[in-house]
Order: sequence, then C-alpha cells, then structure tokens
Amino acid sequence: MEVKFQNVVKRYGDFTAVKGLDLTIKDGALHFLLGPSGCGKTTTLRMLAGLEQVSSGSILFDGRDVTKLPAADRGIGMVFQNYALWPHMTVYKNIEYGLKLKKLGADEIKRRIDEVLHFTQLTQFVDRLPGQLSGGQQQRVALARALAIRPNVLLLDEPLSNLDAKLRMEMRDNILRIHKQTKITTVYVTHDQKEALSMGTSISVMHAGRLIQTGSPRILYNHPKTPFIAGFIGEANFFPGKLKAMGGEGKPYIVETAVGEMHSLEATGDFQVGDEVIVAIRPEAVQIGWSGKLETDNPIALSLEHLTYLGESEQFQLRASDGTSVKANFYHTPEHDFKEGDTVHCGFPAADLLTLKPQPELGPGT
Amino acid sequence: MAVKDQDTRWRRVLSDSIGYGTIGLTLLMLVFFLVIPVGVIMSKAFINNGKFTLEFFPLLFQNELYVSSIWNSLYIGLATTLCATALSLPLALINAKFEFPGKGLLSGLLLVPMVMPPFVGAIGVQRFFARRGSVNMALMDFGIIDQPIDWLGPENMVWAVIILEVLHLYPIMYLNLTAALANIDPSVEEMATTLGVPKWRQYLDIVWPLARPGYFAGAIIVFIWALTDLGTPLLVGYHETIPVQIFNMITDINENPVGYSLVFFVIVITVAFFLISKLALNQNQYEMMAKGHVTSSRKNVRGWGLLPIYGLVIATVIVALIPHFAVLVTSFSDKWFMTILPDNYTWNHYLQVFQSELPMNGIKNSFLFAGLSTLLDLVLGLLIAYVIVRKLVPFTSLLDSLVMVPLALPGIVLAFGYVVTYSDTFLDPLNNPVPLLVIAYAIRRLPYMVRSAVAGLQQTSRSLEEASTVFGASRFLTLRKVTVPLVAANLIAGALLCFSYAMLDVSDSLILAMKERFYPLTKVIYVLFLEQGQGEFLASSLGMIGMLILAGCIIGASLILGKKMGELFRS
Repeated sequence: MEVKFQNVVKRYGDFTAVKGLDLTIKDGALHFLLGPSGCGKTTTLRMLAGLEQVSSGSILFDGRDVTKLPAADRGIGMVFQNYALWPHMTVYKNIEYGLKLKKLGADEIKRRIDEVLHFTQLTQFVDRLPGQLSGGQQQRVALARALAIRPNVLLLDEPLSNLDAKLRMEMRDNILRIHKQTKITTVYVTHDQKEALSMGTSISVMHAGRLIQTGSPRILYNHPKTPFIAGFIGEANFFPGKLKAMGGEGKPYIVETAVGEMHSLEATGDFQVGDEVIVAIRPEAVQIGWSGKLETDNPIALSLEHLTYLGESEQFQLRASDGTSVKANFYHTPEHDFKEGDTVHCGFPAADLLTLKPQPELGPGT
Repeated sequence: MAVKDQDTRWRRVLSDSIGYGTIGLTLLMLVFFLVIPVGVIMSKAFINNGKFTLEFFPLLFQNELYVSSIWNSLYIGLATTLCATALSLPLALINAKFEFPGKGLLSGLLLVPMVMPPFVGAIGVQRFFARRGSVNMALMDFGIIDQPIDWLGPENMVWAVIILEVLHLYPIMYLNLTAALANIDPSVEEMATTLGVPKWRQYLDIVWPLARPGYFAGAIIVFIWALTDLGTPLLVGYHETIPVQIFNMITDINENPVGYSLVFFVIVITVAFFLISKLALNQNQYEMMAKGHVTSSRKNVRGWGLLPIYGLVIATVIVALIPHFAVLVTSFSDKWFMTILPDNYTWNHYLQVFQSELPMNGIKNSFLFAGLSTLLDLVLGLLIAYVIVRKLVPFTSLLDSLVMVPLALPGIVLAFGYVVTYSDTFLDPLNNPVPLLVIAYAIRRLPYMVRSAVAGLQQTSRSLEEASTVFGASRFLTLRKVTVPLVAANLIAGALLCFSYAMLDVSDSLILAMKERFYPLTKVIYVLFLEQGQGEFLASSLGMIGMLILAGCIIGASLILGKKMGELFRS
C-alpha cells in the first residue's frame, strides 16, 4: 500500500504541530520518521492512523483519499510506544479481540493467531497476562496484535524506547525480519538517529513541524540539506559566514568566516553572492599536521583544549581564534606529544566542507 | 569519645523503645476499641447463660418488625448505590473525557453535598415536602394540583431516605469513578479504535473491566454507609430500618438479647459484601502499564457542546443542594405556615442558639471531642502509617487492613459494641461518655488519617531519612525532625477531614452521649428537632452552623490535598 501525504497540516488551537507535510511512502517500504521530541512525527503517525483529525491537506492510500475515513476503516496496525496492551486480557485474548470484531471464521482466527505467535516467538506465553511478561515480550505481543489483522500499513510509534539496550538490538533484528517476511508497508517513528540509520533505507527527518529531508542514511549523513540535519545525524562543526564567490564545475564556493576564508566544493540550496551561509565539516574529516605544518585546503591553527583517548580513536576538542569550538576525531593516530594548550595545525578538505543555508529559526541540531 | 558514643547509643535505645512502645500502644488501642467490642457483640449473639446457643436468630427472624427492617435497610443500601452510580457515572465520564472552561469550579461544586450529614438535610426537606410545605403550596398556587400530595407519607418515606442518602453519598462514588477512569491509559482505547472496535464495545470490553475495581471500592462504601446510616431514617421518621431498631434496643439491651443478633447480622452483611467485592476484584487487579506520553485524550469542548455538560453538572449541583437550601431557609424563617416561602425572615433563631445553654454546650462539646479525637488520630495515624510504609513490623498488610476496617464498620455497630463492652466499667458512658466518644470518633476516622499519611510518606524518599540516620539520629528523632515536616501537608489535610467528620458524627453521638451535659452538636440538633414549636428552627440554625464548620474544613483539606482527595474514600 502506497501512502501519500499531500500538504498535510495539523493545528492545535494557535499551535501548528505539522506544517504542510508532503511525503510519499512506497508500497512495501520500511520508512522512518526521525526527529527530536516535539517535531511532529508522532502527530503525523496519529493522523495516518486516523486518531487525529487532519486540519488541512489529504492522506492517500494507493491514491484513494482516506483523510476523512475513521481509523477503523483504514486497515492499519499500530504499536504504541507503551504497547497499550489490555492488561485484563491474556496474550491470546489481546490478539483475538481485534480479529473477532472482523467477523472472521473461528478457524481463520485460530490460524492467524498461531501464525503471528509463531512469527513473534510467543507461542509459550499465550495464557499469560501482560503484567506477567517482560518488556520485550510485551513489545512482541503488541507487534503480534497489530500484525494479526493483516494491516495495509503497520505503524510503529517509538516501539523500542521502553526497552534496555540489549533487547533493543534484538528487537531491531526482529522487526527487520518480520518486515522482510510480510512486506507490509511500515512507518516507524523514532527520535533515536542510530536506530533509524542502522535499520532504515529511507528516512524522513522532521523538525519543528516540518519535513526537512528524506533520503537514505548515506545521503542524510554525507549530504545534509540543513545545519540541523548535519548536527542531528552525526556531529558537525559549524562556521557562519558570508558567501564571497559562487562555486560550480570544480570551482569552490568561497565563504568569508570569522576565522578566515573557507573553500567548499559542495553546497545545498540556491545561493547568491553576499548570502549568509554556514559551512559545516564532520569531526572525522578534519585533518591535522602531526608534525607541525600541513599542506591542505583551508589551513587553520587551533588551540587544543582537551584530548580524549579512546583506544581505537582519539577525540580532540579544539578552539579557533574567535572562540568557535571545533571537534576532531582521528583513527590510527601516530605517536604524538600534543598537550592541552598546544597550538595544532589543522585543515578542512574542501571536498568535505559543506556550504548550507542557515535556518536561524531552527538552529543547528544537537 | 567512648563516653559520648555510649551516651548517644543509650539515647537511641531509649528513643527507639519510646517509638516501638507507641506502636505497641497503638495496637492495644485497636484491640481494645475495635477488636474486643466487635468480639463481645459476636459472642453475646451466641451465648445465653454461659452456653452456646442459636436461639436468638430464630427470634430475630420470626419478628416481623426486624425482618421488614432488614429488608428495608438492604433496599435502601442497594437503591442508594444504584442511584448514586446512575448519577455519578455520567459526571465522572465528563470529567475524564472532556476539558472545558470552569471545570475545576464545577468539579468542586459537585463535592459540596459531602459537607452535610444527610440527617440535617432531612429537617429542611420535611419543611419543603410536608403536606402543607413549600412544594405542595407552589403546585397548588400554580393550579397543578388541587389536593396536597403526601410526599413524605409512609409509602414514600423510604424514597425520601434514599434520595437524601444519594444526594449526600454520590460525591464518594464520583471521586472513585473519576480516579478509576483517569488511571486508564488513553492508548488502550486508541488501540481498540484502530482495530475498528465501536466506542460502546470499548467501554464494555476495556474501560469497564479496568475501572471496575475503583468503582466497587466506592460502591461498597456507599452501600454500607447508606445501609447503616442512623440519622436520616430517624429524622425522616422511617423507623423500620436496622439502624433505628438497633438504636431503640440499646436502652433495654439487657432484657432483649435479640439486639445482639441484629447487630451481628449487620456485621455479617458488611463483612460479606466486603469479602465478595475483594474476592471478585483481587483476581482482577491489573497493573496499568507505563502511561503513554504526549497526548491527552481529553477533548476540548467549546461552544454549543458545552450546553449539555454545563446543564448536567449544574442541574446535579442544584438538586443536590436543595436540602441545604431548605435548611438555610428554615433557619432564617419567621412564622412559616401555609406559604411557599416564609413571610418574614429573622436572625432570632441564631441569636437564640447562641444564647441558650443546650446548643452552645453542644457546639463546645463537639469542638472539644472532635479536637481531642483529631489529636489522637494524628498521633495514631502517623505512627501506623510510618510502620506500614517503612515496613517496621512483619505483618504490615494485616495492620493496614485492620486500620481500614472502621471505614466500613458501621458507626452503630461500634457504638453498640462500646456500650455493651464498657457498661459498668470505669468507662461507662452513663457516667461520663467523653472518653468513649473521643475514642469512637478517633477510631472511625483513623482510616482517613492513615491513608493521608501513607500517601505523604510514600512520596517522601526513604533516603532523606537514611541521610539523617547516617548522622547518628535515632529512627524516631528522624521521624520527628525530618519526616513529619515533609508530610505536614498530608497530616493537616487528614486532620481537617477527621475533625470535620467527627464534628458531625451521628451514630456514636446519639448512642454514646447519654447525659445532656455531654451532648455534642448532632445530638442537640436531634433533640431540638423533636421539640415542639421553635425546635425545628433552632435545629436548622444549628445545622447551618455545623455545615459552615464542616465546609471550611473540607475546603481547607481539598486545597491542601488537591487531586488526591479521592484516595481518602477508598476501601
């Protein structure tokens, strides 16, 4: 089932939770809605489920407008963040309840329950009450219950946030396996970027009620559209400045910043000379002259504030002359004798430097 | 150094022993004034001339008066519970499901009827609904009826009692239902919605099973309070009820041992209903899973949608306040006869109350008895709560159930038990009822105090106390210096409730206060009401004064406790 949002807006009184969402989720996809809390991702999911009314815009299932369709008729299966298991019904009853209302035959009900129990490895727990199950088992019951009705779309609202780290890993694999087997179009809401990066092939990042960028983890990491995404997915160093010269076809964008001119080979957005821009670089893209000077693009002298040795890598916390803090991560560091307070000669390769449009109302991600 | 160590250790031992000694005394109190009196009644119901016998029970059930009293009381209890449910269920649903302007105020107004014991309302209602009362006069003036309707005639009396009980007790049901509904995670209903479960089936299959324990906790209290309330049937004049029969039998209990079997029967009913509800519910105590985040399921209501909500809530408040209003009018009325409302109004009844000895004595006595019993409750309640929450003794859950017993134990049973147990001892209420009255008040309100203190202690982290013990303070020094100040708000709220309910206690006061000198407020109201002439007006003014005192206390308690008010009325 292909799911399509067309300019969907959700207002609560004066507050706009979702500001004009356009998004197409392909049939059979496992699509992630990623963003910090309060970004509108859960509201989007609830509108998709029919639990919240859409203020304006429309939602289409395979081209059919379902905006006004009640939740019951949309054929969705939902897993709530807290699972929303009915505490007074056994595992079996929890799954059976929704099926019974669908007026299926007794044999069919039995077959489907056995199937989802098998899928979620819950067969031996059928007679337990939710209170007698562990967090991971409860999560699986919620999943089984949603799957049993053979939904058109499966909605997962932060399904792993109540589990501990080890179980979370296990359940990630479980969900991926089930998705692969069922091929049900699945929308997965999370605030955990690692979860989204490791599981997803298509991710929509939302922030402050807007969808900012949709793409694969690679695209989002290497070619973020905004400073927010650069900061939210992974880490980034930012230098605000003014565009001095346009780039293109091998020519660099030249940006005047407080710490000097910077040359960048990539930019996202339409620019004009004189625009306020932000240049960004990943900590692992920063280069360093281990023995003094360094031949590189954008050379810069930084003072070392703090050094963290992590075995496989070293993290340098540096500061530029204007006070901007810079993070740099290095793998395979040679023997060196840098101490806190030393001046370090660094460089930012132009190919790794991104020129981005500032979004003062959003700010860089955290 | 060594001397000092020994010194602090010695002080700690002393302080600990004082503490544990107090707990021991508390338990003794419960044994002597709760367990033994009930035990005496039970034994007397089965023992005649030192031999075990069952002969009293056939006597009880052969007596038509007693049998019809039993049926009537059961009928009152059941009808009150059902009507209170019907009245409070929509109100609780509105509270749980909707958000609207003025919600706080209206929810508060719904609780107002608690401030008056229904027997005071009975005085006012008789004025309004008498043969020549306001209602008949108004109906005749408008030409709707020719002949006055006998609203309070013998066949209608039972409904007068039931309505008064419902109007008094529905807030307890409302508080319990609201709390139970608010505890249900909205996502369990949303989940059902996504599966296509119609709303009505969600209520039936999901909401009701989850709210049931809270509902029964309230229902059982309403049932037992209505079943065993003495004041209302007494003042309405509906004497064929268990409480009134027991009240009448106390004076000649030595000649008529059937009284014991009737009281025993009340205990059996009470215990049976409690056990049934507990057994039925214990298997269904579901722990709510972690609550979902962000979304509140409460719908904002504006515009025309407000009309039915306001209509229902305001109509309920108005109807519930009719008895209060009637008492108010009566208390100010001068020469009120054959007219809808009095022709003249006067302060005289209030002046008279303040000038005559009996009412003033009653107010003074009530303040004294209620004050003393509240002090007793404070000490006992805090210590018991401390023992329960910090699990100082191995059988805390037993202790917990024991102190909650008085909430369900009818006042008449306890008072009756005191009379038969302590007559001809130094506590004989015929000589001086003050000790027994104070103890009776205290024991019956102890559950409020304990619940209140337990709630406070549970919110107070144990580590705060441990920090103090680490510095070498004894457990009970810590209790005094650290714990009590932290739970002060809960203690004050609990104390206000204890005080106000003690002020307007009916059954203990009517039964135990046997000499005019010791009459508390409520017994004075009753005695005045029985007097011809001015009595009714004086009783109304005195009732108004009592209501004002009680209203002040309850408003104070709810301001301090906020939303946790409902937890105090659970069994």
